Amino acid sequence: MNLMGLRTLFAKEVRRFLRVPGQTVLSPLISTTLYFVVFGVSLGGRMEEVTGQRYLPFIVPGLVFLGLANNAFLNTSSSLFIMKIQGTIVDLLVAPLGPGELLLGFVGGGMVRGLAVGLLTWAVALVFAGFQLAHPVVTLLFLLGTAYVFSVLGLVAAVWAEKFEQINFFPTFVMLPLTFLGGVFYSVSRLPEPWRTVSHFNPMVYMVEGLRYGMLGTGALPPGLGAVLLAVLAVASTAFTYALLARGYKLKQ
Amino acid sequence: MSSPPVLEVEQLVKRYRDVTALAGVSLTIGGGEIFALLGPNGAGKTTLIGAVCGLVKKTSGSIRLFGVDLDEDPYRPRYDVGLVPQEVNFDPFFTVSESLKIQLGYYARPPDEARIHEVLEALSLTDKANAQTRALSGGMRRRLLIAKALVHRPKLVFLDEPTAGVDVELRRDLWAYIRRLRSQGTTVILTTHYLEEAEELADRVGIIDSGRLLLVEDKVSLLRRMGEKRVKISFSTPVGALPASLDGRAVLAEDRRSVVVTERAGKPSAGEVLQALYAGGFPVAEVDTRASRLEDVLIEILRGGGAP
Repeated sequence: MNLMGLRTLFAKEVRRFLRVPGQTVLSPLISTTLYFVVFGVSLGGRMEEVTGQRYLPFIVPGLVFLGLANNAFLNTSSSLFIMKIQGTIVDLLVAPLGPGELLLGFVGGGMVRGLAVGLLTWAVALVFAGFQLAHPVVTLLFLLGTAYVFSVLGLVAAVWAEKFEQINFFPTFVMLPLTFLGGVFYSVSRLPEPWRTVSHFNPMVYMVEGLRYGMLGTGALPPGLGAVLLAVLAVASTAFTYALLARGYKLKQ
Repeated sequence: MSSPPVLEVEQLVKRYRDVTALAGVSLTIGGGEIFALLGPNGAGKTTLIGAVCGLVKKTSGSIRLFGVDLDEDPYRPRYDVGLVPQEVNFDPFFTVSESLKIQLGYYARPPDEARIHEVLEALSLTDKANAQTRALSGGMRRRLLIAKALVHRPKLVFLDEPTAGVDVELRRDLWAYIRRLRSQGTTVILTTHYLEEAEELADRVGIIDSGRLLLVEDKVSLLRRMGEKRVKISFSTPVGALPASLDGRAVLAEDRRSVVVTERAGKPSAGEVLQALYAGGFPVAEVDTRASRLEDVLIEILRGGGAP
């Protein structure tokens, strides 16, 4: 394995997003801060407790998840897609970098950005909701697992996309609705039927509830389910993406 | 034990649905030579380079780089390969110097400021080392592309139209640098539309058309074998009939003031013609000769006149 090549790609990916921090870190941080202000401070005061929690702390894990997943996805998808459009992908394809190096290099960079935004969101939340960390190991596993899975998914989107419109397809039409309907702002256990059952088919619910269990110690669903789902998604998406990169799908002629 | 050829391509085929870009190309390139691949647009030059460099998935055939079959190990031989692609590209997030450091890292070479400085100097980019790549002019971006292909000291360099769009001065500088690379043992494979470039640089020439390699030959012997010399002899006054010994070998102009002889593979020699004219008392005033160039040879071969 070309470890120095992998390290170089990873470092390049991290430096790339740090070159434009206003766009890659600050902008999503402001968006999630506004969610705290609008949903948490403004509306939250009028809402009763949710699953034993005040509303403001209740939405913190979901917002951390939102920032983390979105930015992990956006980093890999935009970076590889821009390389395809600008032609710099040639540098990677000619170099002695196999599918493993490409996958880990890009995904590592995506995870760093996702975790940076997620943790900064959490830091902002301290101001509004105070600090809560019930199960540190569970929290860490869900943070890392979510960052990994969404980074890999971003890579798949970038490999597949041929136009800018297509690169926005997944975040706009899949991630955004599933996340907002995934229990970020409410507990799925309080939904009326049939919506409660329907929401169990949304994979985001398990990830949000798992992170909520880790951070707050309460959740509408067992965290083990979320952990298994993340593990299955991680293995499946890794195998799929590795195969795409090894084949050179939409990268090589 | 002798080292294997730098590149061996056997029966390489690449098909894109209905189009056959490479139709069974076989080619062997030895160490330390400059090989020019010539042919019209769409002939298959870039596809051939792409297949060797991992940008194009071959349909069939085999490629061995430094003796290693790419089907068995597609990555190990690439540590020693550099490519200057035809299309200019640059990463707008990094400076010139950073781009070269990244390139070194991809090839598992540690950061080497001295090497970066050397390459930048050779390509007249030293004063742009800390400039953002997006601030470079088109010509400078092409120089950066060349610097990126060379910074890790590859043993085999592919130059796909390396001097397209660069000024004459840089082209000359680059030619000197390519010759220097060869003197250091680097093998260079280049495609170019500037036949003057191939004529100046190449040791061997390959001519490709419609995905078929029509000819591979030493440049000097090719020019000698295929080359023509056109000799125009002008007379001070109009002349009568040419000597009988020149029948079918020389063409008299309509105004009868000049004659044109086409010398091919040394026959008939300009000396023989002049001797016959002097012997016949023709008033020879001026002799003008023009040797054919690679361009003429290429055109003739593509017309079907020179393939073995």
